[in-house]
Amino acid sequence: MAHEKAPGVLSYARLVTVARISNLTVRYGNFTALDDLSCEIPEGCTGLLGPNGAGKTTLLKTILGFVNPTSGEGTVMDKNIRTDGMAIRQLIGLMPEQDCHIPGMTAVGFVSYAGELSGMPPADALRRAHEVLEYCGLGEARYRNVETYSTGMKQRIKLAQALVHGPKLLLLDEPTNGLDPRGREEMLDLVRSVSHGRGVNVIVSSHLLPDIERVCDRVIVVIKGKLRTAGTIKDLKKLAGQPADVELREPNLAFANLLMEKGLTVAPPKGNVYRVQSELPPEDLLRVVQRTAVESGAQVRGFETAVRTLEEVFLEALTA
Amino acid sequence: MSNIKPIADLSYRNYDGPLKKPGSRWWVIAKNGIRIALKKKALWFWMFGSAWYYLAMLVGLFFFQQVSSANPPIKQAMQAFLERIVWQDQFLHGFSFGQMAMLIISLMLGSGSIADDNRSNAMLIYLSKPCAKREYLFGKWVGIALPVFVIMVIPTIVFYAYGALTFREYGFLKDAWLLPKMLVIIPIAAMLHASIVVGISSMFNQGRNASATYAGLYFLGYFFTSLMGGIWASSRGETTYPVRHLFYGSIDGILIGVCKAIVGTNGSPPFGIQNPGRMSQVPAPNVAAILGIALLISVVFVLIAWRKIRAVEVIG
Repeated sequence: MAHEKAPGVLSYARLVTVARISNLTVRYGNFTALDDLSCEIPEGCTGLLGPNGAGKTTLLKTILGFVNPTSGEGTVMDKNIRTDGMAIRQLIGLMPEQDCHIPGMTAVGFVSYAGELSGMPPADALRRAHEVLEYCGLGEARYRNVETYSTGMKQRIKLAQALVHGPKLLLLDEPTNGLDPRGREEMLDLVRSVSHGRGVNVIVSSHLLPDIERVCDRVIVVIKGKLRTAGTIKDLKKLAGQPADVELREPNLAFANLLMEKGLTVAPPKGNVYRVQSELPPEDLLRVVQRTAVESGAQVRGFETAVRTLEEVFLEALTA
Repeated sequence: MSNIKPIADLSYRNYDGPLKKPGSRWWVIAKNGIRIALKKKALWFWMFGSAWYYLAMLVGLFFFQQVSSANPPIKQAMQAFLERIVWQDQFLHGFSFGQMAMLIISLMLGSGSIADDNRSNAMLIYLSKPCAKREYLFGKWVGIALPVFVIMVIPTIVFYAYGALTFREYGFLKDAWLLPKMLVIIPIAAMLHASIVVGISSMFNQGRNASATYAGLYFLGYFFTSLMGGIWASSRGETTYPVRHLFYGSIDGILIGVCKAIVGTNGSPPFGIQNPGRMSQVPAPNVAAILGIALLISVVFVLIAWRKIRAVEVIG
């Protein structure tokens, strides 16, 4: 899927693009939910981050064709979001944020019905329903009425119905909503396993940074309907100038002074960790640190490239 | 999750089997509606209940026919009854007396069809699949109309077959188009019931509220029709406009009107009773007018459902 890159669109050169959004604006009356948003969503697992009301769910709903964009264009797997809604929905699985099920059905009946609605022949849908229910950890509860399920089980069955027809793209809207810590862990494990090495691309919409960090490779930060930042989590967490955090056995003032004498910038220590910055490549910087430690009698316990937390990245985007 | 590893490979595997193109999802939805309905035991009771007039006629005719051969007075009475009876009106009675049960069947099949989906946010499931709004609505509609049609058509055909085989010499086949006419009337009744119940169901989040609303609407109209019929009967058929037209001013009245207009009868007493009231003999309405009204009501309620069905609530 090679594309011509739209101006101002963040692009991932070596990855296949799953979805491409160009200058998308969605308005509900006077309220602008998405404001001239452009982005590319590559294959793999992408997190859609933003505070409540940022426009994440609107973006997902626009991709699905539930909401007509006021302006702008978009494609999902080369299908136009304005004209090919049906074809897109056949390739997508949606796990909605809200509690939703089809009343009066057992889990296996519900999931196989979802498969038939997606176009699967009845026999395939039933067989596949058993498979995905097992996979989602509902194997033993598959003949129970969905209405009797706990919150955690309802989250799982929403995932099962989204997976039943083997979607190429899975949209997960707040997948850990209402789950206890254990349920949350299990759900994140499921999402991670389905999105890595199984040929399923995933977009996870959430305002929970640890969830996104746990399962996603890339993030798109949307705030007030605008794209604030996008990229791989690894890249976004990198600090300018690639500083390193040096952990000593105990604080050592002489070590810091010597480094500064050698032209390196040393930030005030946090406990026994010194953040050192220089123009040197990491391997040269490590050698300088080791030599200085010997000279000052400091004992180095750790050396790693300093990174920001995803929370710091998000807060920076929020205040930008 | 258990730590014991199962023998089978339960890891996620992709599905690469066939996927049908969008366009036939309505049948999946209709089938599911029918499947859920057939599980309701009360439905089977009302199915027989809706055919009570045909069943009573069949049993009565069969019984007296058997008894009459050995009993000359009964044979004479039977002969007089068979010469008096208007066969086409028996279909009108079978149809109209079954309507109350058809209302209940329609409510059982359809009052929760969309209301329950509204309550459980199922619309998000349906419409996130390659299933268009029109397919969803049509599927729900067929899921009600088809069983209603089948429930009405089976006793009609059984009674027709029995009559055609047994009472040919008593003028049963006088109207050669009687069965085709009934096969036109019954889908119209199914259409009207299905459209109204789908429209009302779409307005609520609880099936019972939709049931109460449709039942209320039906019975208010039914009492109105009965009142008009009573006025017409008490005036010995002298009162014409507007009472004889207002008689058809309810769902029940419309269906009776459609049946009378298409069968081409003003009606006669049920069971061939000799000295009846005249309520069942209000003259038939104009066929085009009554069909137009039935169609208009159906379209209005389907449009209500069309406007109410949406995957997401968009405010603005």
